[in-house]
Amino acid sequence: MRAPLGRYVLRRVLYALPTLLGVTLAVFLLVRLIPGDPGRIIAGLLASDEEVQRLRIELGLDRPLPEQYVRFLAGVLSGDFGLSAVTRTPVIVEIGIRMRATMMLAVTSTAIAVAAGVSAGVLAATYHNTAVDYSVMVVALGGVSVPVFWLGIMLMLLFAVHLHWLPAGGIGTPAHLVLPALTLAAFSTAIVARMTRGSLLETLGLDFVRTARAKGMGEWTVIIRHALRNALIPVITVVGLQFGTLLGGAVLTETTFAWPGLGRLLVSAITARDYPVIQGIVIVFAAMFVVVNLVTDLLYVTIDPRIRYE
Amino acid sequence: MGQMRAGALLIVAALMAATGAAVQAQGPPKTLRIAVGIDADTLDPAGQTTTTVANMVDYVYETLVRADYAAGKVAPQLATSWTVSRDGLTYLFRLREGVTFQDGTPFDAEAVKFTFDRLLDLKTRVPLRFLVDAIKEVQVLDASTVRFQLSKPSPTFLSNLTYTTTAIISPVAAQKIGAANLVRDATGAGTGPYAFKEWVRGTHILVTRSPSYWGKAPVFDEVMFRVVPDAGTRETMLLAGDVHMVMLPPAPDVRRLRQNPTVTLVQAPTDRVIFIGLNTQWGPLRDTRVRQAFNYAINKRAILNSVLFDLGTVVDSPCPAGMFGHGPVQAGGWPFNPIKAKQLLVEAGYPNGFEINFFTPTGRYIQDFQFAQAVAAQLRNVGIRASVSTMEWPSYVAEITAPPDRTRLQMFVLGWAWVVLDCDGVLFGQFHSSQHPPRGLAPAFYANTQVDTWLDEARTTVDVEKRKTLYRDAQEQIWNDAPWIFLWAQNWYVATVKNLEGVSITPIEKWDAIYATWK
Repeated sequence: MRAPLGRYVLRRVLYALPTLLGVTLAVFLLVRLIPGDPGRIIAGLLASDEEVQRLRIELGLDRPLPEQYVRFLAGVLSGDFGLSAVTRTPVIVEIGIRMRATMMLAVTSTAIAVAAGVSAGVLAATYHNTAVDYSVMVVALGGVSVPVFWLGIMLMLLFAVHLHWLPAGGIGTPAHLVLPALTLAAFSTAIVARMTRGSLLETLGLDFVRTARAKGMGEWTVIIRHALRNALIPVITVVGLQFGTLLGGAVLTETTFAWPGLGRLLVSAITARDYPVIQGIVIVFAAMFVVVNLVTDLLYVTIDPRIRYE
Repeated sequence: MGQMRAGALLIVAALMAATGAAVQAQGPPKTLRIAVGIDADTLDPAGQTTTTVANMVDYVYETLVRADYAAGKVAPQLATSWTVSRDGLTYLFRLREGVTFQDGTPFDAEAVKFTFDRLLDLKTRVPLRFLVDAIKEVQVLDASTVRFQLSKPSPTFLSNLTYTTTAIISPVAAQKIGAANLVRDATGAGTGPYAFKEWVRGTHILVTRSPSYWGKAPVFDEVMFRVVPDAGTRETMLLAGDVHMVMLPPAPDVRRLRQNPTVTLVQAPTDRVIFIGLNTQWGPLRDTRVRQAFNYAINKRAILNSVLFDLGTVVDSPCPAGMFGHGPVQAGGWPFNPIKAKQLLVEAGYPNGFEINFFTPTGRYIQDFQFAQAVAAQLRNVGIRASVSTMEWPSYVAEITAPPDRTRLQMFVLGWAWVVLDCDGVLFGQFHSSQHPPRGLAPAFYANTQVDTWLDEARTTVDVEKRKTLYRDAQEQIWNDAPWIFLWAQNWYVATVKNLEGVSITPIEKWDAIYATWK
């Protein structure tokens, strides 16, 4: 068992390399395809043409594209993502500062989503076609549909402006984490609840569940110990995908709550045409997705011993 | 049981008393928290491009001279007095004595020379280098006397020295931090009332009161600038008490904030003129009568009131009021007269109007996309069918910097502001033919040799009266040629909690809160 696992992980990592190489080329070309000259954007409207040209040279943007790409790629391979065009700070430092905030938010909201979503899903499936089921599904539908910026502002108005229980925005104490994590978890919780309910309902109709019941096991034991475990595979897939998305895509929530995460850094880098930062973040996102997918696949095996590494 | 209840009541009473006392005995908070819309790009004075960032840098660094906006003149700061030679080529500054940088080293002539030599060094990133490009040499005469030799007379030179770009840096601190690292570290490097403490990227910048400051000490021990990109969130944080002051809450909420008894709204006119550029080299807009018709067709006052919530003043000249050289051409702005507009269009050969594309940014200027739609609706009344389209800012900049043979611009929204209050900034920058893109940023492609001559002369002569005359003539000519739809000068505003007093807004879109007090 141990040897195949190591080989499996190694093979998956090797498979990811061409993907990541493709990402470097795609992001390199895409940032240069969108209109907007970094020299002019960074120097501002009042700067003279001479200063803009000087900045372009400083940033190496006067070099031919293939040369720029080779330099960039060589840097990436040696772990050097270059300097931010705006702040002249190593891109890896800029990303590192934001990564902590992003991780904190993504992990917390995923934990909320798993805890609340799975519980709600189990309740809904157990009390299928009752008031409990309908209530859970209506709330879940709301969770999927409500825009995060609206939910965020509403939570802020209630808990920060009226009740004064929690800070409205920013980062610092654990209290600062509550509202953005809840806002961000709303969508994932709803998805997880729906997925758990559907998958569990299906499992509850299978023969082995009937067998378990026939053996005289308590209903909750049947549901939690036997059915749920078998129903979790699609739920884990969804949680993995959601977590990957949260790591990279929490831009709206981060903006609404002034949370200094990677999503916001990416948006501000795009509006400043800070090529090195955009490139660095996209590569990091891609790498994180690869890792999250790998971990998800490994989790399948832990949950369901019938699944084997190939 | 009874005792327990009494005890509980006592505790509750004590708690209430405690919180009540906390509410009543609010002294000034140790840290004044200000929510700003953008994170800094650089803390290096030399690298400044954005007034909001310069505003924060001003807490730490100081310039030789400062702008006294109330008196409309340049006032002493690190320099106590100065003399200018008759030919305008030599400036002699006496420096303030007894001033030290926050790192304890003395402020002297060597520091001034170090700062300006660095600004003139092409290896230093100085986007606004035009502020100092008239300098030929900076000479140290003695510890507190510096002489600037200019290569050409520059009537705005003294004003240029009021801008953050030219703030004086401690050579010792710069050496210690490393010149390249001044971008992110300003420890001990300035003479200002607050010393730099930390900058947490994307989160906040923190400065603490400098004990060695030469001037009057500010009230607050610390000032924290918190980065909050969303305007609605900034407003919410103010209402929740998370911060004491926010820049630019959402414009549509300004009236409500004014009525809120716990909030003070501080606003003032600025030098940012908002206009709709008309590409004077495109189709029907080549005809002056058509461009004048566009000006007659728009009811600026109504749009300002209903779409911009009165956050501006209709301009009466291409150069907004409050700038040196401003001369009102038409009191109250270009009159609204759709009948006259139609008549001019008929005269120009467009009785049925025409189609035109109309570009605007979104969220760059107050209600930009919204007022562009109001303008398009009013143009439709005189038969001009303008289709409004918007794009994100860097793409927009690519449009407005395209050369004349490649430009897609027909009419477009733009706002122009200069860092010193002199008509040169807007008139030369927007109407001198040398400034057509891609060389400069005058995308109306206005060209008038007479105006060029006036503007060239006005930026080289140091004769104050002559400059005024030249600018008056230029403003009148440009106004009549109508390369813009002349709109308004935009206000700038902040909202503060009621307790915070003494905050004001400068005409160059900065807040002045260093000597704010707490009541």
